[in-house]
Amino acid sequence: MIPELGHIILITHLILCLIGGTMPLLAEYTGLKIFQIPIKKLSVFLFLLISISFLSLVYSFLVDDFSVAYVAQNSNINLPDYYKFAATWGAHEGSLVLWILAMNAWIVGFLFFTHAKDRDFLASVFSISCQVMFAFSLFTLFTSNPFERILPIPPLNGADLNPSLQDFAFTVHPPLLYFGYSGLLIPFAIAVSAMLFSKETKEWAAYSRPWTLFSCSFLTLGIGLGSWWAYYELGWGGWWFWDPVENAAFVPWLLSVALFHSLITSQNRGIFGKWSILLSIFAFATSLLGTFLVRSGILTSVHAFALDPERGLFILGILAFFIIGSLMIYSIKDFEHGEDKAYALTSKEFGFLLNNLLLVVLAVSILFGTIFPLIYEAVTNGKQISVGAPYFEIILFPFAIGLGLLQGVALYLSWEKSTSFDFVSRLLIESTSIFALIVLVLFVLFDNLYLNSFATIFLASWIAVGTLQVSKKRNLGYWDFLRKRLSVTLAHLGMAILVLGVGVVSSYSLEKEIILAPDDSIKFGDQVVKFESIEDSLGPNYFSKKAVISFDDGKDVSNLITEKRTYSPSGQLTTEAGIETEIFKDLYISMGDNLEDDIWSFKIQIKPFIRWIWLGALLISLGSFLAGIKQIRRLV
Amino acid sequence: MKKIIDVLPLAIFIGLVVVLFSFLSEKDDQLETVLIDSSFPEFSLKALSDDSRILSKDDISDLPALINVWATWCIACRVEHPFLMKLKEESILKIYGLNYKDDKNKALELLKRDGNPFEFSIYDFEGRLAIDLGVYGAPETFFIDKRGVIRERHVGVIDEKVWETKFAKYLDE
Repeated sequence: MIPELGHIILITHLILCLIGGTMPLLAEYTGLKIFQIPIKKLSVFLFLLISISFLSLVYSFLVDDFSVAYVAQNSNINLPDYYKFAATWGAHEGSLVLWILAMNAWIVGFLFFTHAKDRDFLASVFSISCQVMFAFSLFTLFTSNPFERILPIPPLNGADLNPSLQDFAFTVHPPLLYFGYSGLLIPFAIAVSAMLFSKETKEWAAYSRPWTLFSCSFLTLGIGLGSWWAYYELGWGGWWFWDPVENAAFVPWLLSVALFHSLITSQNRGIFGKWSILLSIFAFATSLLGTFLVRSGILTSVHAFALDPERGLFILGILAFFIIGSLMIYSIKDFEHGEDKAYALTSKEFGFLLNNLLLVVLAVSILFGTIFPLIYEAVTNGKQISVGAPYFEIILFPFAIGLGLLQGVALYLSWEKSTSFDFVSRLLIESTSIFALIVLVLFVLFDNLYLNSFATIFLASWIAVGTLQVSKKRNLGYWDFLRKRLSVTLAHLGMAILVLGVGVVSSYSLEKEIILAPDDSIKFGDQVVKFESIEDSLGPNYFSKKAVISFDDGKDVSNLITEKRTYSPSGQLTTEAGIETEIFKDLYISMGDNLEDDIWSFKIQIKPFIRWIWLGALLISLGSFLAGIKQIRRLV
Repeated sequence: MKKIIDVLPLAIFIGLVVVLFSFLSEKDDQLETVLIDSSFPEFSLKALSDDSRILSKDDISDLPALINVWATWCIACRVEHPFLMKLKEESILKIYGLNYKDDKNKALELLKRDGNPFEFSIYDFEGRLAIDLGVYGAPETFFIDKRGVIRERHVGVIDEKVWETKFAKYLDE
């Protein structure tokens, strides 16, 4: 009964979304009072409905109701409870319900934290959001219903959740990403409403800023966790693969970063109005496009767990309807698009313009690289081409340099025009000293210097010094610093740390393929690596070979455990890497093949500063979240 | 006054949707029919493990078999790798690899580390055989029956479910 309850409630949600999506706009255009509905109450009620629907799916997983097809395909009787819970969003159908839930949560948040005097404007934002939710609910019910039953004879055990997804980071990563993606709905709905109501740029930009920041915060955290998962779970030691689906998350992230920077300008100066509207539309479009690319199966990818052309068509329809619709309003309607104020090349405005230009061109290049194989094939009648990591790395590098250099000076700039440039010499001197210090530390730690890491290390120092110096120069008290500068300092410093991590890990890493029998040892960098022991072990739904390997650098000995697991329901093998984390480096070992008896091959790696990448991402996420809260406090 | 430039975003976006749509609708027939029921194309390429060994169609001799297109840059291939290993270990049928636009050393290293499910891998650096096969990307898997005819094709990760629904039926013929 519970799945049917969830199903009926999802249908109710769909119908109410249709009402919420049309009534407020009808009220606006006809002026009739009967169409007015209490939007706040309705949004909360919708949220309750979708939550109950989601929880009934969770319940079906927890009680092993394998008569529900989705549960049968993605869970198993022996799966630990925590993973049964997380399996709810382990595949396409459940993800969609969670996605709708996330959109609904953002709408409730927006309505409750935006105390606009203009009720009609809020109603319009609500209405547009409801239309999008309606489309998603429709999509879920017609192409991907998670509540479908297998009757009359349900399977006994269930097929199991993909073993590589049975992992903490990977259970948290999708919801965070969904919250990030779906959060971009709010800036989109605000942008469309702003055009419809010809809202003043300064005003709507203020409404939009916090939600863009929250979205960006969640996207950062989601992408960061995904990267961390890939690092330890795929057994490869890489942290970014330029996989189409990674790109599909990276592009909206870039655009959301561009958008909230552009919104700062729009809110403070009343300019860039049209640009901010376009960015809001395209940020949302790319988040939908990402879904389309993943679900339609037109790009093959590790994430492609549910391929179905019909679904692809449906999502493309949703994408086309909303984006073409909003762009038509953009191209036809005469709306308020801000003031035309002059600003000098040395102004903050110009800095933001440059930042946006770089971010957007980078986003377009990455998007282009991701879908280029499709276009090429369509144009050349079936000839194929693949675009891999080298393309993306070549593209990224100049943009990263440009953005980094800009980020270092950006915080010094003033609106209209900057008058004093004495910061340049201090910035240069201090960042060069920090750069030299880092290089020295790296030399002491790793006994080596790599010239190709110098550019990124300098960039990191430049950004860090630029961020910290400005905060110091403002001479704020402790409390004022926390209130005014903490968020931006955290986020920009996070970027410096991330850049440093990327620079060091991509040039200082060591790796080696080895073959060892128990008690054998081998020299690797400054470490002596020894194969201590191997044993069989049993997990809740797998059995494994567990090898203990010790790393001895002359001072400390660390024991790393790496495993080859065989999951019993599916027979799938996974490799669990053994990782020892220190502040400056990771020791990493993953188990390869059993060659004979107890002789195994291993891949050993030393990954300096890799943690700094995720630490940086964490700070960026935290910084943007705090910035979002700060903006909300201004609105309330 | 609206200017022509205001229509530009709309025009670009419509163009994008048209391209995606045409690909989506084309994909089905193009992917499914081009090579289904025709015999495996002729080729002459080096073996991955041995530069001096030249492979041709006749080397794919132990039929029925799967041809699996893989590469080290393709993460999805790593996901399906255990399943291929399982097919090999349970001796269900032979699998031949088509190593696609890959770095030879990395490819060999991967097979050494994760196991080698293939009888041999054809080293197709320029994607010549892949073009003949109409390979869209990696991973892709083809089923070849006893007579050397391609019967089925799967784009994307092959797992238990795909095997059961798409391929297993041809094995019993």
